[in-house]
Amino acid sequence: MDRLNRSEWSSGLLDRRQWFTWTKYGLGGAALAALLAQEGRVAAAPVPGQAEDLPPHHAPRAKRAIHICLTGGLSQVDSFDYKPALEKFHGKTLSSEEKPDVFFGKVGLLRKNDWAFHQHGASGLWISDLFPHLARMADELTVIRSMVADTSNHTPATFQENTGFRLNGFPVLGAWLSFGMGCETDELPAYVVIPDARGVPAGGSINWTNGFLPAQHQGVVIRSQGTPIDDLFPAQARTATTEQASRGLLDALNRRHLADHGEEDELAARIRSYQLAAKMQMAVPDVARLDDETQTTHDLYGLHGEKTGDFGRACLLTRRLLERGVRFVQLFAGGAFGSPRINWDGHENMVANHGQEAARIDQPVAALLKDLRQRGMLDDTLVLFTSEFGRTPFTQADSDQLGEGRDHNQYGFSVWLAGAGLKHGMAYGATDEIGWKSVEKPVPWPDFHATVLHLLGIDHERLTYYHNGIQRRLTNVHGHVIHDLLA
Amino acid sequence: MHRLLLTFVCGLMLLGRSSRAEPPPADPAFDERVAPVLIRRCIGCHSGADPKGGLDLSRKDAALAGGESGVSIQPGDAEGSLLWQRVRDGDMPPKEALSAEEQQTLEAWIDRGAPWGTDPLDPFRFTTEQRAGYDWWSLQPLQPAPLPRVNNAAWLNDPIDAFVLGRLEQAGLAPSPQADRKTLIRRLSFDLLGLPPSPEAVAAFEADDRPDAYERLVDQLLASPQYGVRWGRAWLDVARFGESQGFERDKLRENAWPYRDWVIDAWNADMAYDEFIRLQLAGDVLRSGDPSAIVATGFLVAGPYDEVGQKQQSAAMRAVVRQDELEDYVSTVGESFLGLTVHCARCHDHKFDPIFQREYYQLAAALEGVTHGERRLAYLEQERRRKHVEAEIAALRRQLGELDHRVRERILSSTDTPAAEPPPTPLARWSFEGNTADALGVLDATLHGGARLESGGLTLNGRGAYAASAPLAKDLRAKTLEAWVRLDDLNQSGGGVLSVQTLDGAVFDAIVFGERDPGQWMAGSDSFRRSQSFAAPPETEAAQRLVHVALVYEEDGTITGYREGQPYGQSYRSSGPVVFAAGKSQVVFGLRHAPPGGNRLLHGAIAAAQLYDRALTAEEVARSAAAGESVTEERLLAAMTVEERAQRDVWAEQLETLTAKLPPLQSQEVYTVASMSPGPSHVLLRGNPATPSEPVKPGGIAALVGVSPEFGLSGEASDAARRMQLAEWIASPQNPLTARVMVNRLWHYHFGVGLVDTPSDFGFSGGRPSHPELLDYLAREFIASDWSIKQLQRKIVISSTYRQASRRQEAAYAQDANNRLLWRKTPQRLDAEALRDAILAAAGELNESLGGPGFRDFTTYVHNTQFYTMQDPIGSEYNRRSVYRTWVRSARSRFLDVFDCPDPSTKTPKRAVTVTPLQALSLLNNVFVLRMSDRMADRVRREAGEDVEQQVERAFQWVYARSPTQEEKQTIAPFVKSHGLSEFCRVLMNSNEFLYVE
Repeated sequence: MDRLNRSEWSSGLLDRRQWFTWTKYGLGGAALAALLAQEGRVAAAPVPGQAEDLPPHHAPRAKRAIHICLTGGLSQVDSFDYKPALEKFHGKTLSSEEKPDVFFGKVGLLRKNDWAFHQHGASGLWISDLFPHLARMADELTVIRSMVADTSNHTPATFQENTGFRLNGFPVLGAWLSFGMGCETDELPAYVVIPDARGVPAGGSINWTNGFLPAQHQGVVIRSQGTPIDDLFPAQARTATTEQASRGLLDALNRRHLADHGEEDELAARIRSYQLAAKMQMAVPDVARLDDETQTTHDLYGLHGEKTGDFGRACLLTRRLLERGVRFVQLFAGGAFGSPRINWDGHENMVANHGQEAARIDQPVAALLKDLRQRGMLDDTLVLFTSEFGRTPFTQADSDQLGEGRDHNQYGFSVWLAGAGLKHGMAYGATDEIGWKSVEKPVPWPDFHATVLHLLGIDHERLTYYHNGIQRRLTNVHGHVIHDLLA
Repeated sequence: MHRLLLTFVCGLMLLGRSSRAEPPPADPAFDERVAPVLIRRCIGCHSGADPKGGLDLSRKDAALAGGESGVSIQPGDAEGSLLWQRVRDGDMPPKEALSAEEQQTLEAWIDRGAPWGTDPLDPFRFTTEQRAGYDWWSLQPLQPAPLPRVNNAAWLNDPIDAFVLGRLEQAGLAPSPQADRKTLIRRLSFDLLGLPPSPEAVAAFEADDRPDAYERLVDQLLASPQYGVRWGRAWLDVARFGESQGFERDKLRENAWPYRDWVIDAWNADMAYDEFIRLQLAGDVLRSGDPSAIVATGFLVAGPYDEVGQKQQSAAMRAVVRQDELEDYVSTVGESFLGLTVHCARCHDHKFDPIFQREYYQLAAALEGVTHGERRLAYLEQERRRKHVEAEIAALRRQLGELDHRVRERILSSTDTPAAEPPPTPLARWSFEGNTADALGVLDATLHGGARLESGGLTLNGRGAYAASAPLAKDLRAKTLEAWVRLDDLNQSGGGVLSVQTLDGAVFDAIVFGERDPGQWMAGSDSFRRSQSFAAPPETEAAQRLVHVALVYEEDGTITGYREGQPYGQSYRSSGPVVFAAGKSQVVFGLRHAPPGGNRLLHGAIAAAQLYDRALTAEEVARSAAAGESVTEERLLAAMTVEERAQRDVWAEQLETLTAKLPPLQSQEVYTVASMSPGPSHVLLRGNPATPSEPVKPGGIAALVGVSPEFGLSGEASDAARRMQLAEWIASPQNPLTARVMVNRLWHYHFGVGLVDTPSDFGFSGGRPSHPELLDYLAREFIASDWSIKQLQRKIVISSTYRQASRRQEAAYAQDANNRLLWRKTPQRLDAEALRDAILAAAGELNESLGGPGFRDFTTYVHNTQFYTMQDPIGSEYNRRSVYRTWVRSARSRFLDVFDCPDPSTKTPKRAVTVTPLQALSLLNNVFVLRMSDRMADRVRREAGEDVEQQVERAFQWVYARSPTQEEKQTIAPFVKSHGLSEFCRVLMNSNEFLYVE
């Protein structure tokens, strides 16, 4: 109610001119409230395309999730997978029967970690100096050090990370959750995407596609700066009176039409969708108003830091979205490929590349964990921190050269989870001596996905959607829940 | 007593036998009686690579060896056999126990010593509760079905109706009454064209009291080029058509659009469906010299392509990517044409349908020579030939023109016309004798859209052909338009003969045929501003001979029509004249006004035309008509000598032959199949190229009854041979799936739900047909009509079933809420493209031009990957129909997306229909919708004037195809007065009545 009565929506983080126009001439809170008051005149209709075997399939540990996607490939041996042997082999040739089959085909000399590792927290988890802030949250993390992917090609690997398949056209995790779990609120979308402020990842909207699921499950991009979502308000401003009259007339026309047609469910649902739209028009500007937060919070997230500002805003917005009932927020840390590098694809120089990228996200991500913990939200929120694959322990250089960059590595890499239902401060699985291949308890993506769904109360074999002859699943015909990770 | 003894004896016998390690003898009774039980009830779980409990009952050795719980069959001793114990106790099968008879069969079999027959068991022999076998309904030949007897025979309009009504009557339901005419024309128009009907079309249809008015409307719509635009889009959904590579780079395919045009053209030309299949699979090898056939194979490569993956260093990973590519082809071919999910057998035998893994690789082998590529079509040789033919044509035209001119001079000089005065001198004169020049001035014309010059003059096909002059050299106010015209069809409506228009076509004065009053000539003008009926008798002769028609526009606005030099009905005073400004206006022929499309195009020929920059008197028109008569072909021919006429005939025939031979206009780079020489193919264990198994040859699937899976090709066969065989196998009238799948697809689009509700899956996981006999009836009719899609669609839409009203009947709803029995026509929401196109049409902004490169609602740049930034471009070229968007995979249109436009990377046989608040926000707030609301308000004001009630009336007609009720007018008029017409148009575009087609 409090939110409905606010009359002024201006926010320093939104385009001032637009907001000025809107609040001056646009649809005010009172007009919206009037629209909302009509609610209840039409019974809620089932939304087409909702899952039939509805989750929860068992008691959920987490109600919502955040997925931080590091695009380009985070080096495990420089972050979460400490390999002291690499120091010993630094500058030496890889001694292996097998010639590594790497993406760019160049296998240079082995290179030790460029950031020193230390044990942190009560758990003594090894984390490198690449992530000093995150290291302080070590006891919140559940690290998997034995991930394996099917390909070392960025985009198919990213598809696999998000959809379980290497190909275009399959729904991403967020779309599946939107489909299976819906939203805790009807004021905001179930699945929100916040791209890197420097640009969208390769493939753009392909990365948050609904695939063959109904379109309503596509990720909705909300920007942490500028207009939060598209088409929220009329492209040409109207007076509040006109807007209200138009919505009223529309409602009248639709209801008359409905009365003539014997209460068709779909027609009734459309009438209701306009009421929900009105709610979104209230809720979205509100959630995007980061100025409402205290200075302490701003500082915690590094909102005003030169390097941390972008991702800090994204992380803070994420927390606000979750507080208001959004089911799944996917943040991208990293944009497209190419030069200059704006993601984690450190082929040329690990120190420069990973150094630049980590400085952007380390403090904000740590702040998000801390903030969620302080607010008690981490008890029923799941945080995922993943990369499509890792990087090679040997450098991308001629065979007798010690290069400064590393190539893609699909055979062994690290991700972490945090939050609800997990054993914290632990590491699971292991790569070989040099951090190249997973040798102990390897975790393919379907196992990771099955575990994530499990934590959210979903049996990965039961969340299905019929498409062209198959009851499709996020985990295809694979997937085992990793019970060792669960608290 | 007996049994016990027998068991004992058999047990002894068996002991003796097994000690000699001799298998039980093969047994024909096993195949007949026991195998069916095992196949139907047991081996669904107890077979394969990982059988339940380790027990594999599909093979003799494994069955006798037993599983994790030990030996399960003690031959000769059912009581002592674990298998029988579990069955007897009802533990197995776990869900539904075996019948007493089945139990007895098993028990007796074990007691008999468990003799085995054919080994291994064929798991596909029968359909079971878990999977389809060879006896699956869709794999059987099409069955002729007698028409069901029905009580209400008066309702039947097509055999379709008998099948539908039969089911309804069985269920105790009655069909709905026929929908009213407004509903029917709106339904047909959206269904067949994807566009709303114009208010004029609605009025004409309502007024048409001929008994076959509905059929005429159907035929008219099916003949519209916009039909192909609508239905081509549906096929592009199935074909996962996208215009970029997808994956990481998502590079724009600049040259993928010719395939889209090919599809639209094929639908418009009613290409036989078997040919449609053949060309898409193998056009390049079937007709290597025909560019359009090569374009057709764009079907195979319309999906994404992993450019980075195909080029990566790792050969092992490249091989995986190539296998993924082949799976894309196999799955698309299988689902689109056969409704089979063949690709599910890539890693193992199909879990639900009788498709072996080997057969997946046989089909993959048939497509092994295919990959993505670009080809330049229309080769140098073709261009040289074209130039040669063009030169010949020009020479012939000159000769013909000269001959006609000579004869005309002869006629004129010998004429003893008493008229002393010569005919008046026009500003411009076009005689269309071998050229389109203005004989008197500077208004030379050019031909467009297939317009041709023939001996009868400018020949116009009514589908896109017209001619347009250079801009006027001086302003025009009072004027006279005059033409000698022949019509191909007196039922046509709205075509323009001669029109003076502003260059954008917004303002025009034209000689128009049949637009308002059927069969009458009219002075057409923008929104009928200066148009009134001449109230003259309808034209009866123009189909047989040239008719002289003239319109005189006087300074005071008076407009007078003339036909054959005589006044035509009543002249009237209009609000004119309009000034047509020099440089900004032009003359068009065969087109009411730009842009070409709708009902604006004339079907006929214009022998000559003249334009005057003043209003002629009645005498002057009469003189001109008399003088002009000399141009009629009849008189010309009559005046010729026998030799001259023979010469003329020869030349005319040569001209026709040559024109038909003219090769396509220009060469064009086209994204299509690149043919490779195929390597050997193997079954890949678990689908993994690193573990090849037995070699396979190209072939089909044995389970399809009626067509042989044997392609008769070796493993070294050429790409061409492989794809031609594949195409023949699919396009065969004996193939049980091909026709069924396509007629069902069409039915799905017409009714919103197919007879089988999974249009690309006729297997076990798909739906069962609601009306199996109807499905087979339609499939047989389809084949019998030489696979004519239009004929089939005509049947469907002409049926009483289709013409039903869509209001809900509560009794029927209670029994069959989903309307699978078809007791009404379910209302359908406009799909995304139809919604956008309808908004453009209502706003009067739709650009109906066909073909060519798509418009781009994005800007793009390449930063390693190709990026697309969505834009809101303004201008007529962006107001083309939505199918002409450039469909980049990562540049999806937000507006179309929220209305369930599919991800172009997925094969979409059936679009979801969702209702979401994001749709509401888009439709309320999107800049395109708001701009079109403004444009629509402009149009409505233009057409209805300033009276608000008139405006509401007109707006309703455009958006709902009906007039508002008095009550609606009273509610809405005050709204329009307070908030403006544009705001009202915005509300209309958001309303359910607009979005749903009854």
